[in-house]
Amino acid sequence: MKNYSILLAALLLYPAISQQSFAAGDAKKGANVFAEECGDCHSVTPGKNKKGPGLFGVIGRNAASVPDFSGYSDGIKQSGITWSMDKLDAYITQPRKIVPGGKMKYDGLDDAGARSDVIAYLSSLK
Amino acid sequence: MSVFTANFPKPCGRYWLQFFRNIACAVSLFGISASVALAVPSYARQTGADCASCHIGGFGPQLTPYGMKFKLGGYTDTDGKDGKIPLSAMLVANWTQTAKNVAEADKVPRYDTNNNAAVQEASLFLAGRMTENIGTFIQATYSGVERLSSLDQVDIRYARTMELFGQESTFGLSLNNNPTLTDPFNTLGQWRFPYTSSDFNAGYGPSPLVESLGGSVIGVNAYTFLNNGIYAELGLYDTLSASTLNKINAEDIGQFKGLGTYWRVAYFKDMKRDNFQVGLFGFNARVQPDRNDLGTANNYFDLGVDGTYQFLGNREHIFTLNASYAKEWQKLNYTYGNLAEADNLKNNINQFRLAGSYYYNQTWGATAGIFDTRGSTDRTLYSNSLSGRPTTTGYLLQADWTPWGKENSWGAPYANVRLGAQYTGYSRFMGGSSYLDGDGNQRRANDNNTTMLFLWMSL
Repeated sequence: MKNYSILLAALLLYPAISQQSFAAGDAKKGANVFAEECGDCHSVTPGKNKKGPGLFGVIGRNAASVPDFSGYSDGIKQSGITWSMDKLDAYITQPRKIVPGGKMKYDGLDDAGARSDVIAYLSSLK
Repeated sequence: MSVFTANFPKPCGRYWLQFFRNIACAVSLFGISASVALAVPSYARQTGADCASCHIGGFGPQLTPYGMKFKLGGYTDTDGKDGKIPLSAMLVANWTQTAKNVAEADKVPRYDTNNNAAVQEASLFLAGRMTENIGTFIQATYSGVERLSSLDQVDIRYARTMELFGQESTFGLSLNNNPTLTDPFNTLGQWRFPYTSSDFNAGYGPSPLVESLGGSVIGVNAYTFLNNGIYAELGLYDTLSASTLNKINAEDIGQFKGLGTYWRVAYFKDMKRDNFQVGLFGFNARVQPDRNDLGTANNYFDLGVDGTYQFLGNREHIFTLNASYAKEWQKLNYTYGNLAEADNLKNNINQFRLAGSYYYNQTWGATAGIFDTRGSTDRTLYSNSLSGRPTTTGYLLQADWTPWGKENSWGAPYANVRLGAQYTGYSRFMGGSSYLDGDGNQRRANDNNTTMLFLWMSL
């Protein structure tokens, strides 16, 4: 019984723990990661799109939902993704694995720490 | 996205045999340069990207990896919005002072022997996406120095990006009028530092033929960029007819015998924070200098190696280094054999260029460069050289300020301007520390040291 309780508690707490791991990322470092890895194609200025959609307020947003961005692939439109921190982390790691047929020309970011930082940065933008 | 420049050798006078331009331009100094700077903010409007995404320092022509890929993709990337007009305009104005007044015979017509201000270029561009896979970079220029309009640069591309063996690769075709215009790196003739130079500058010595053909030829190039790492290009060129050149106000270098062949391979590695490239390039052509005396041609064979390093980081502190070395083997069947205007049947030119730049906040820039050109001793060909050699060496220093061009800049992406100062110092000119100027008087190489202040705007 005790073991089940622990398992149940772990399952209930997992999302919070997981989100905290991104929140533990360094947003200041994440701004640099964003400039190095993302900033050519994405903007964090509210309402600003580049070749890729704007990323201001991306956490919690449904994929392919920026209203005035028309460059979405069919793959991302049909993905049904909501950009939780976990999902964003998986996507940044291997974009083509998470969204086959996507347009984003990015091979992925292997460094888990850098991903955590950039997600913390995106989360910090209010 | 903005500006670009070429540093063509200085034309040596309207009546000079144009086919000698690559080897003898330094003989007659202070001629008028071919078109130089290019600027195309219409690409920024098309993509939604700021100029600094594609260009080091927020102003062309030094390309970032993003800018390289945009070019190789055929100028077709877009932010998905319709209604973008693929037109841009550009203006380059400058003031130039040389250490000592130039000889009367060497001065630019209608200008003084020193301290000249000029609207050097006013250009219009048709530059942008035409269809999903076709894009253009076409420039028409009015030269305020020559007081002529010309069709300057033409690069019309078809490109497709696809998966090949699981790797993303781009394949493309280019119809263009200049062999090095198509290159995505900033080491070859068309796109190498200095990105703007004064028409009143003495130039950088003789250049290989591959750098001396802009506007005079038409070529079709096939290229590929495999797995974002291997770049390969092959182009075939022919000279335009004399009547066509006359219509577009381009220079007549003579007529090719057969086709000229341009090739290029490079390895590129993009680590995002920094990147590097190493490459090889070559060009060969047989040129019949006089269209009224066809049959015997001068043969040119160019071979070069180049490399680039860029540290981009978070774009606050950017460093770049560009280097190239080219050697040209000439067989002057016509010049030596028919005209006896050279001492040697076979000559060569060796050209080395190096430039390093630093940009702070994509706004404040400093660049230092070295030019070093050497070649065979030929007292007839290089008749103004006291040693008979074309050796021209020196350095360039430039400081510039680019206030806009960033994502949230005032007036973006319409307002683009760069203000700068450039200094050219000569240690040797046409063979040594002294040479004969156009009036036949000895002139020191450092008498040609040049200070230029420039204003470069694009819309």
